[in-house]
Parts: sequence; C-alpha cells; structure tokens
Amino acid sequence: MAVVFGTLGYRPKSLIPTLKSTRNVEKLVFYCGADKDDPDAVRRVAEAKKEVIDYCAHMGIAVDPVDLPDPFDFKSIVLRIRADLRKHRKEGKTIAVFNIAGGTRPTSSAALLACILEGIPTVYIHDVTYEEIPLPLLRIEYSQVLSGEEREILKVLRANRGTDITEVGLARLINKHKATVNHHIKNLIAKGAIRLDKHPQDSRKRVVRVEESTDLLLGDDE
Amino acid sequence: MRILVSTFTDGDDSKILLAMRQLPYGRLVLIGLGDADGPSIQRIRKLEGLSGNDVGYREIDAGQFMEMVDSISEELTALVLDKETGSRNEIAINISGGSKILGDAALLAAFRLGVEAYHCDRVVIKLPILKGATAKDRFTELQVKLMDVLVDRETSLGDVVRAMQPHSKASAERTIRELKKLHIIASRTEGGKVLISLSPEGAEVARATKFARGL
Repeated sequence: MAVVFGTLGYRPKSLIPTLKSTRNVEKLVFYCGADKDDPDAVRRVAEAKKEVIDYCAHMGIAVDPVDLPDPFDFKSIVLRIRADLRKHRKEGKTIAVFNIAGGTRPTSSAALLACILEGIPTVYIHDVTYEEIPLPLLRIEYSQVLSGEEREILKVLRANRGTDITEVGLARLINKHKATVNHHIKNLIAKGAIRLDKHPQDSRKRVVRVEESTDLLLGDDE
Repeated sequence: MRILVSTFTDGDDSKILLAMRQLPYGRLVLIGLGDADGPSIQRIRKLEGLSGNDVGYREIDAGQFMEMVDSISEELTALVLDKETGSRNEIAINISGGSKILGDAALLAAFRLGVEAYHCDRVVIKLPILKGATAKDRFTELQVKLMDVLVDRETSLGDVVRAMQPHSKASAERTIRELKKLHIIASRTEGGKVLISLSPEGAEVARATKFARGL
C-alpha cells in the first residue's frame, strides 16, 4: 500500500490523475492554502479541496488535507513537507510519488525542494493534457557530502544559534581537539554550509555561524 | 563579475527588487517566457540604467518541463564564461519569479549545476545547494565517459568496451558494474548479446554532468 503526496491549488484535475495512475493507493496527503486577503482564492481552494476529499471518499482512499497557514512562506512549507515525508517513512509507509503541479508558486517549489532532498519520485501534470510528467530528480545524498562530524557540528551550531560560538568554544562543546574542529570548519565553509563572522565584542575573534540554508538542508528533526 | 539571474514575468517587480536589494551583484539577467517589454521590466531597466548597466533578458521556450530545465542550464552555463574577457563569472539565481513551471525548472537547474540559489518573495531564503554535491562531483571521469557513450542509445557490451578505449576491458566492465549498482545503467540480453543503456535517472545524470562540465 502506498501514500501519495501532492500540492493543490484551484484544480483537482492537477492532482487526481496521480491517484489514478498509482497502484494500491492507501492514503493521499495534500497541501493547500490561499491568500487570506483574497476571498475568491480562498473560495476556489476550498472548493477544490472538497472535490478531492469527495473523490477520495468514493474511492476508499484515506485523505489528509494539510491547510498551510501561509502558502507563500517557502521555508515553513519545505520544513513541514520534509517532516511529514520523514514521519511517513518512519512509520514504514511507502511514499509512491509527490505531485507538485498544484498550489501557489512557493508551495510547488517548496515541494520540489523537499522531494530533491528526500529522494521522492516527483511528477508534474501537464496544464492542457493532464498527462503525468515524471521528473528525473537526482537525490542529493548529503550523507555522502557531509561527514558524521560535520553533521554533528551543524547540529550543535543550530542548537546554539543565539550564542556567539568561537572555534575554541565549539571544540569544548563537542569535546574535540581544536585542530580537528578547525579542519571540519574549513571543509564546511568550502561547502557553503557555515561562515565565520567577526565577534560582536572582540574583533580579533571569529564566530562560527550556520548558514540559514542549513535549516532546509537538515530539516526540523535533525 | 557576479551575475544575478532571476526567473521573471511581468508583475514580478517586488521579487526582483528584493533580490536586487539583498543580494550583491554586478549585472542582472532575467529569464522569462517572452514578456520582455512589459511595465515591470521597463521599471527594472530604468533602475539598472541609473547604475550604468543594462538588464539582460533570456527567453526560454515554454515547452516540456525537462526541456525548460535544459534551456535554463544552458543559459547559466553560458553566463559563467565571459566571452569578452575570458574570465569566469560568479552566478546566483533567484527562482521566485516567472510562472510556477519556470521557477521549478530553475530550481532543478540550480541543483543540477550546483549554482547558488535563492527564493526571494517577501524574504530572501538561500536554498541548500552545497558545493561539491552536484552530479559532476559524484562521478569519476571514467563513469562520466561511459554515460556519454550511452547517451540516447542502447549499446552492446562489446561496443561499449571499444568506445571506452584506451581504457582496458577490465576498467570498462568495472565501471559498468559500478553504475549498475547505482541504478544509473540497465542491461538486458537479446540474441545472446548483452545490451546496455542508461536508466531514466542515468539519463538525467548524463545531462547534468554535460551541463556542469561547462561551469
């Protein structure tokens, strides 16, 4: 049994073909939302959502509609979708496919990014023919790009984001020699995952800062 | 020079201006589906003109999704090398402008090439594209050569070994095994012959490495 994920805007026809083309669908999880200041958009998304829920009810498919609080908040949507994908995987579910055709532009792009990072098969639906177009995504195997020590450093830096941590302080926090930490810091800077900023109180010192994009890279539960 | 590239359609002023304000750049290039004369681009051109620069515009055909990814990859690769001076440009791309399909195609192209990318819409979000994580970085020279041999065709094992020369037969066969393990290539037997081809994922890797070689 498989779980299908998707994004939904005004058109159920952008999502339902994926339910038809996927074998043994157990559940549909879809993300939708509209600009709350646009009553017409709110109404049209609500109608599309109802149609998809009705379709699933008739077909005996469980459905989990996710109302996005802000369908234009790219970062929150990526984090939400990644967390949901990981949760389903942890529960042993098979994620068959993610349809990214519907929804706002940020919602669709956020879903695509989550699929790249999680290695989920992804499809688009053609605007006119409603034909499914599989996207040959390359999974970004960050476990191969980042070593275990580098991931640990990133986690510690994220957990201490509000603190000004120097290399010496970081070495103390993770209980490693300063030279070892220095080596990993250089590698992480070269990969674009962290940067060194001037210490706010002592310009001779450098503070290790994690790049904002690392949140998206690692996801919420890492 | 640092070039800021952005996907674009008329009405995207606020996204482009946010990117211009927040991201350092020397030259601005917009990628769109043919709307190069609307009020938005005129406004942006006027602003850029104040700093003595023109705004570049690259038109992409609104075709199939992967064709758009290829077109954007080509444009980004072409922008890296400055034809006049021979120097290399640094590229950053904003994917928030333009149609949904254009933005998504640009996102995929950025990941494919390992280009610094942002989503600028109310706030600037840097996308998690790590240096050293592209297809080009993940495969050896020999693996890339084998993928080149197999682009758009199914080939017999004997022909693959010949095309891989001066590398030895053992090297070619080892590379085939490596890529098969990674699901990059597939093989089947027909009339006693082993036929080898790229899998759909392998075809994308081959395209990605082709474009990335230009960077």
